[in-house]
Amino acid sequence: MRIGSGLAGALLMLLTATAAYAAVFDRQVPAQPRGVVEISNFSGNIEVSGWDRSEVSVHAELAGGVEGVAVSSEGGHTSIKVRTEASVSQGGARLQVKIPKESELDVSAMSAHVSTSSVLGIQRLSTVSGNVTAEIAGADVELKTVSGTVQVKGRGQPARLRASTVSGDLHLQHGGGDIEVGTINGALIVSLDGARSVRARTTSGDLRLDGTLSHGATLEASSISGSLTVRTAADGGFAYEVSSFSGGISDCFNASPEHTQYGPGSRLSGTRGTGAGHVRLRTLSGNVQLCDRP
Amino acid sequence: MTEPSNTDRKVTSLRELPQSIEPRHDLWPGIEARLGDIRAADGATPAQRRAVRMRWLAAAAMVACVAIGVWVGRGLLPGTAGSGTVAVNTSPPQAVQPPVNAVPHEVYVSDPRYQEQRAALVRDLQARLAALPQPQRDKVTASLQAIEKAKADLEEALGHDPSNALLQELLVNTYQDEMRVLTDVHEASDPGRGI
Repeated sequence: MRIGSGLAGALLMLLTATAAYAAVFDRQVPAQPRGVVEISNFSGNIEVSGWDRSEVSVHAELAGGVEGVAVSSEGGHTSIKVRTEASVSQGGARLQVKIPKESELDVSAMSAHVSTSSVLGIQRLSTVSGNVTAEIAGADVELKTVSGTVQVKGRGQPARLRASTVSGDLHLQHGGGDIEVGTINGALIVSLDGARSVRARTTSGDLRLDGTLSHGATLEASSISGSLTVRTAADGGFAYEVSSFSGGISDCFNASPEHTQYGPGSRLSGTRGTGAGHVRLRTLSGNVQLCDRP
Repeated sequence: MTEPSNTDRKVTSLRELPQSIEPRHDLWPGIEARLGDIRAADGATPAQRRAVRMRWLAAAAMVACVAIGVWVGRGLLPGTAGSGTVAVNTSPPQAVQPPVNAVPHEVYVSDPRYQEQRAALVRDLQARLAALPQPQRDKVTASLQAIEKAKADLEEALGHDPSNALLQELLVNTYQDEMRVLTDVHEASDPGRGI
């Protein structure tokens, strides 16, 4: 009985999801292996994956209020635009796009979720209230959302990553190369894999950062009221400098913070290993924890 | 079962009410006595008047001292530590207001381009937020409130320790973050365009 009702529920959900998208659109166009692919969609989903073919494949499920999908390819530039009725602020399209894996990808959306996988070229992904999920390889990546979350999976390869969200959380796994991440009140959860330069900033969200830095790397993190928890090891060690105006400072290597001579505030500084890298942590009222091992 | 008294009697017409009612007591003697006290106070001696005036002057001087102290304190806010990145606007800070109606008005950075850009973004904010779905609007509003609180906290801390380089750096960061949020929200509501 229970299994039967479960199956009926699942079937109902499937039918509802199918009914939400009234039309289907499919198209393939030739594209250059290292061309630029530009995608825009108002709401729904945008899933982009890289493949070995020199063509762009678009599969779209369209909801009410969507006029159609315009696909054009000229020279090294492919454009995919979901056209909505001017008055429509709801509805949208579920897009599944395959692009040559070394393409440069440019995605913009309003409330659509954006996800990418196996794309090796430069990626610029932005959405307003949707979530962004991306895999990064060795090329530069720029990710932006206002109220959505950001999830980035790296491979420890040196790349330049800039990712920001206003209200959502930001998760980065295996970040290598140069990393710049920021939130306002979302949490920043970052795992590093041989990063060369890290800049992380949050206002009231907490930052949790662990993993490894490369030789001579720099790590700078600051918050106003969010706590900073940094557990990182670096080839050649690092010099550290931690300051907090009214928050507490603690570490895992038995160093004691000193209180400033004039006014409030405390500071912890010193060197781990040979001090090749540099770690600088700043906060107004958040607590700071620093450890020299992940 | 008791009969209703005369005062509890149900009135069915205005004509049934008395034309005039005499007060139970004559109130004039009390009023006259109080007026007499006031007149007597007005007839204070010049020495008494001078003493009252001096008390008012002392109070005004105290208020002026406090105001000058606050003004001087504000004058030492960001930009005086040699960073050269920001200058100071000595206008007094305004109360923290709900960000939807008025994201921070107070501007400590005197660069006119910054001021113009920021003012335009703040003017635009309401309309842009209105284009977002309610849950997202609430989230962004909460973020703007977090920035407002951060600024207020930093300004308060700088009031205690105006030359603190850490606080100045964090305040500059917060201004930058506020501009980033305003810019992102501004660029956010073009359908199909995204930020």
